[in-house]
Amino acid sequence: MQEAQSTQGHEHEHRSDTVILPAPTPWPMVLALGVALMITGMVTHWVISLLGLILTLRAIVGWFFDIFPHELHVAVPVQTGVMKISSTRTTREQLPVSASHRQMLPVETFSVVSGIKGGIVGGLAMIVPAALFGLLKYHSIWYAVNLLAAGGFVSWASETTAFLCQFHLEGLLAATGIHAFTSVLIGLLYGAMLPMFPRKPILTAGFVAPLLWTGILYSALGIISPVLNERINWLWFVISQIAFGLVCGFIVNLQVKVRTPQFRALPFAVRAGIHSDQPLTKDDEL
Amino acid sequence: MTTTPVLEAVDETLETQGKPPLNVIYEWLTTVDHKKIGLMYICYALLFLVIGGFEAVLMRIQLAIPNNHFVSPQVFNQLFTMHGTTMVFFMGMPILFGMGNYLVPLMIGARDMAFPRLNAFSFWVSAFAGFLLYFSYIGGSGLYAAGSAPDVGWFAYAPLTSKVFSPGHSTDYWTLAVFLSGIGSIGTALNIVTTILCMRCKGMKMSRMPLLPWLYLVMSGLVFVAVSPLTAAQIMLTFDRYLGAHFFDTQAGGSAILWMHFFWIFGHPEVYVLVLPAFAFANEIIPVFSRKAMFGYPAMVAASVAIGFISLSVWAHHMFTAGLGPAGNTFFVFATMVISVPTGIKIFNWLATIWGGKIIFAVPMMFMVGFLFQFLIAGLTGIMLAAAPFNWQLSASYFVVAHFHYVLVGAIVFSLFGAFYYWYPKVTGKMMDETLGKWHFWLFLIGFHLTFDFMHIPGILGMPRRIYTYEDGRGWNTLNFIVGIGAIFQAVGTLILVYNMIRSYYKGKEAGHDPWDAWTLEWSVPSPPPSYNFAIEPTVNSRRPLWDLKHPEDPDTDYE
Repeated sequence: MQEAQSTQGHEHEHRSDTVILPAPTPWPMVLALGVALMITGMVTHWVISLLGLILTLRAIVGWFFDIFPHELHVAVPVQTGVMKISSTRTTREQLPVSASHRQMLPVETFSVVSGIKGGIVGGLAMIVPAALFGLLKYHSIWYAVNLLAAGGFVSWASETTAFLCQFHLEGLLAATGIHAFTSVLIGLLYGAMLPMFPRKPILTAGFVAPLLWTGILYSALGIISPVLNERINWLWFVISQIAFGLVCGFIVNLQVKVRTPQFRALPFAVRAGIHSDQPLTKDDEL
Repeated sequence: MTTTPVLEAVDETLETQGKPPLNVIYEWLTTVDHKKIGLMYICYALLFLVIGGFEAVLMRIQLAIPNNHFVSPQVFNQLFTMHGTTMVFFMGMPILFGMGNYLVPLMIGARDMAFPRLNAFSFWVSAFAGFLLYFSYIGGSGLYAAGSAPDVGWFAYAPLTSKVFSPGHSTDYWTLAVFLSGIGSIGTALNIVTTILCMRCKGMKMSRMPLLPWLYLVMSGLVFVAVSPLTAAQIMLTFDRYLGAHFFDTQAGGSAILWMHFFWIFGHPEVYVLVLPAFAFANEIIPVFSRKAMFGYPAMVAASVAIGFISLSVWAHHMFTAGLGPAGNTFFVFATMVISVPTGIKIFNWLATIWGGKIIFAVPMMFMVGFLFQFLIAGLTGIMLAAAPFNWQLSASYFVVAHFHYVLVGAIVFSLFGAFYYWYPKVTGKMMDETLGKWHFWLFLIGFHLTFDFMHIPGILGMPRRIYTYEDGRGWNTLNFIVGIGAIFQAVGTLILVYNMIRSYYKGKEAGHDPWDAWTLEWSVPSPPPSYNFAIEPTVNSRRPLWDLKHPEDPDTDYE
């Protein structure tokens, strides 16, 4: 394709070989200097402010006559010539699954809704072991709820165990909010992550991810919140995480279609999206 | 027929060879061309980048070893105040406004900004604000007995700024300079919004507009909302200091918390004012160097707008330790965490754009990969700090300093450097040297991680921010020394960039008009572009008009 830098076609142009643009003017700069000097006088000397005021007034008058009764313009000559718009590279070659250059990869992925569904159901499943732990150890299902809520209420972190075993409406609301929000986010993460591990999704979702997540939290919670760190029973925490992962992973996987054979056969770097399987051609080198 | 007076024709391209120096200077002083104003913004910001970076290096030298007396406590206070103020108000915002000034009209097919003269005024008032701030260095013990450099932090918390604790004019310099720069920022934001809404070329519906102007639109909206409260607060502080008002004077019934609210209502959206253009650069560079269309354009637009709105409801997470109460803390914990959702959408969309692409690891793309990785880490530490109990323990520690430098340097500066390498050929007509660019990238990357990765640890170990020096034996020595070394790496990397820009201008390869085989309108005009941008106002039919020109057999129009 070619696009000529033509000299025609602008309805306001004065001559066919020029373009009309606003004229250069010193007054914006002088006005800015005037305003700056007026202010500078506050920290130096009133004479500076006076000078600034004079410059400001002069600039306002100058600017006014730049615009009224007619805005001042310049005519800039148009550079004529022919410019070639073309690509030095070929259209990107596609994976065998599609011939369209707009094909989005990965070839198949989970919808956003599947991640949300997985997160919601996984979050509900996680409540069971968490409540069971509270019931067995503290004879209260509210312990885990209030401990989670302490993430939002700073003062609760130092409350007694008895306090945490009682029902608190604000604790229930805060914990519900935190748990729901986190569960949905983690569900979305599962939805995005699981297509990269098509062969062992349940292993990934049910065990690998929860154990990794728990390991990170285990090493960090002592710094983030030493009080919470002391109160958490890590065995039950891991069990709860695995419950979430298994259920969430299962639900997410219910939504998905099986990977295509071509996609499974691709190297991990391609499946993980690091690089195309198509080698660069000479034309692509910069 | 025209109804306006027309002066003699002049050539306003970047070509200045053969012209008398005074004519060249006058041409630049009086220009209303958006490209020249953009370049002046960028040059002025680079000057302040060097100054602010030099201040940072001085601070790191002071903290590299315990019990150091390289600078005095007073000078150290001035250094961190001036460094912060410079980098936010006189480097970050101007350089991003400069990039926007240069690129937005070109990308939307316009001949100039909507208000060219206001554009010039906005630049000059911002520039004079920077000079006013640094003029303070020759106050006090310098030429004027009027005060000295500000030393109250870039946040200027009350009551530090009251006359009792800050006599003389040092705080006034800060207040007035930032106030002045605010005028310029609001003027430029107004110009960008109007330009984008009113001056798009034919066929460029909002749904076809490149993502860069979209993000500049959101960013400019944020500037209106965020800078105005700061300006109001500065007027109130000036009343306190000059007229004896008591807005922030706690001894006379005023409120220090009121200042914090005003400041952070500006301060946190300001992070997004700075980071949204960085996102904008990523949105343009990543698809071109992955050779794929941007994944999820509508989601990216929606996420950007959502970030703009949500960022207005997160300011008080800077004040968890001020005693807002459980309800306030809880609201702002959640509001802060919610912003991770649209931000996450953006990260996934960038990854999806790279996914399966034919990636070309030229220097701009290398900086974008660094940006993605570091922005992710910055986001994670941001979520940690959004948790009130964590924040309580590490507020005002070096962990916080490391976190926000991860955002400001790891994300924004990396993206900006990538943008420099990407658009430099368009601005100058010359390619930047790739080898020097890679040296710059690796030195800066290593320096960045030496500095800011290690800075988290002394913060966790209890090192407070803003301290002048520290005692031996606290476990901070080695870490601070490594941080200092990293700062020097970064400084060397930045100097290589400056050298590369200057060298390439004179000795660089000719770029041609479209060296990256890109898709947006700025690559359809000569490099550097003529003062009128487009001889004929373009018409577009899709989000990638140059793709359509290059591939008429397979235009984007068929897919949108």
